[in-house]
Amino acid sequence: MDFVTNAKKFGVRSLLLQGLTFLSVLTSAFMIWKGLSLFTNSESPVVVVLSGSMEPAYYRGDILFLNNGYSPIEVGEVVVYKLKDKPIPIVHRVLKVHTQRETGEQFLLTKGDNNNADDRGLYNPGQLWIQRDEIIGRVKGFVPYAGMGTIWMNDYPQLKLGLLGTLCVLSLFSND
Amino acid sequence: MYNFLQRLSGVTSFAMSTLMALVVVIALTTPFIPSSPTFDMSLHNVQTTTGRAMDPYDRMSRKAEYARLTFDLDADLSTMFNWNTKLLFAYVTVDYTTPGFETNRAVIWDRIIKNKRQAKLKLRKHHNKYALRNYPLTFEDVEGANLTLHINPVPYLGIMYDKPVVSIPFTIPRPVKPAAGSA
Repeated sequence: MDFVTNAKKFGVRSLLLQGLTFLSVLTSAFMIWKGLSLFTNSESPVVVVLSGSMEPAYYRGDILFLNNGYSPIEVGEVVVYKLKDKPIPIVHRVLKVHTQRETGEQFLLTKGDNNNADDRGLYNPGQLWIQRDEIIGRVKGFVPYAGMGTIWMNDYPQLKLGLLGTLCVLSLFSND
Repeated sequence: MYNFLQRLSGVTSFAMSTLMALVVVIALTTPFIPSSPTFDMSLHNVQTTTGRAMDPYDRMSRKAEYARLTFDLDADLSTMFNWNTKLLFAYVTVDYTTPGFETNRAVIWDRIIKNKRQAKLKLRKHHNKYALRNYPLTFEDVEGANLTLHINPVPYLGIMYDKPVVSIPFTIPRPVKPAAGSA
């Protein structure tokens, strides 16, 4: 009811303008994300820690900034990797590196600081090493707790819908 | 003139921008805080054997050669703790080159140091925590081995950086028993 009276008061033109502003906010956010992705050479330059396997260094809900420059991976670096056919990226520290002389190909073994064993149990069956192309990036910067919102939204999907709905409604009714 | 929501939005947006500025300043200045840690590391001996460590995921692990190091480590890292240090991740690596592989580096020991009390390390005749083996089964033609201590400070907030500290060269011998060929 309110929406209809508002539409009558401001006219279709202003409603369209609201829609346009909303779209421009969305697209600029997307552009920043993709620009960052291009700059860091990483498919997702900002990730949220989802598990406690790197405690006490990183806890659930911490935000990590990644860079995936071309230089070879070093032992002791914390990297984020995504195995083929597995959807969830994992944040762990590199335990072993072997770099082939001729091809420059790297064979890496990782381990979580809070885990007792290395990651061979997490890799795909029969896989002993992970390779450079499975690595999304190395951790360069770190902000604690900032990703808690994402964790809550993952745990309670209704929250995500509710938030999106509220944002849409607010953007339609704001008059600036 | 201003209603409650407008005031609230003003206050929160100002708080968020100051918080962001503070985060950037803290992140950029932390790596430059000086520290004066002391280190001393020595290697007693290196033994190479076969069939010692077993990796349940690697079928060939029973046939591989494993190197067992005995080392001493004395370090006082307490000055590396500043107001933005959550923990220090101390780790010892072994690196070497082989004809087929340009760099080979493996962590053989690590420790998470959470406070100044734990920052004085005194290890006597310590063995490697993680099994050390080469990518092929043997340590044949392994050259230029180095034992290095690294410190990786993990901040409460900010940029990750690494500090390599002491490094000692050594050689990895072949197993004493003449298993195959002459060593």
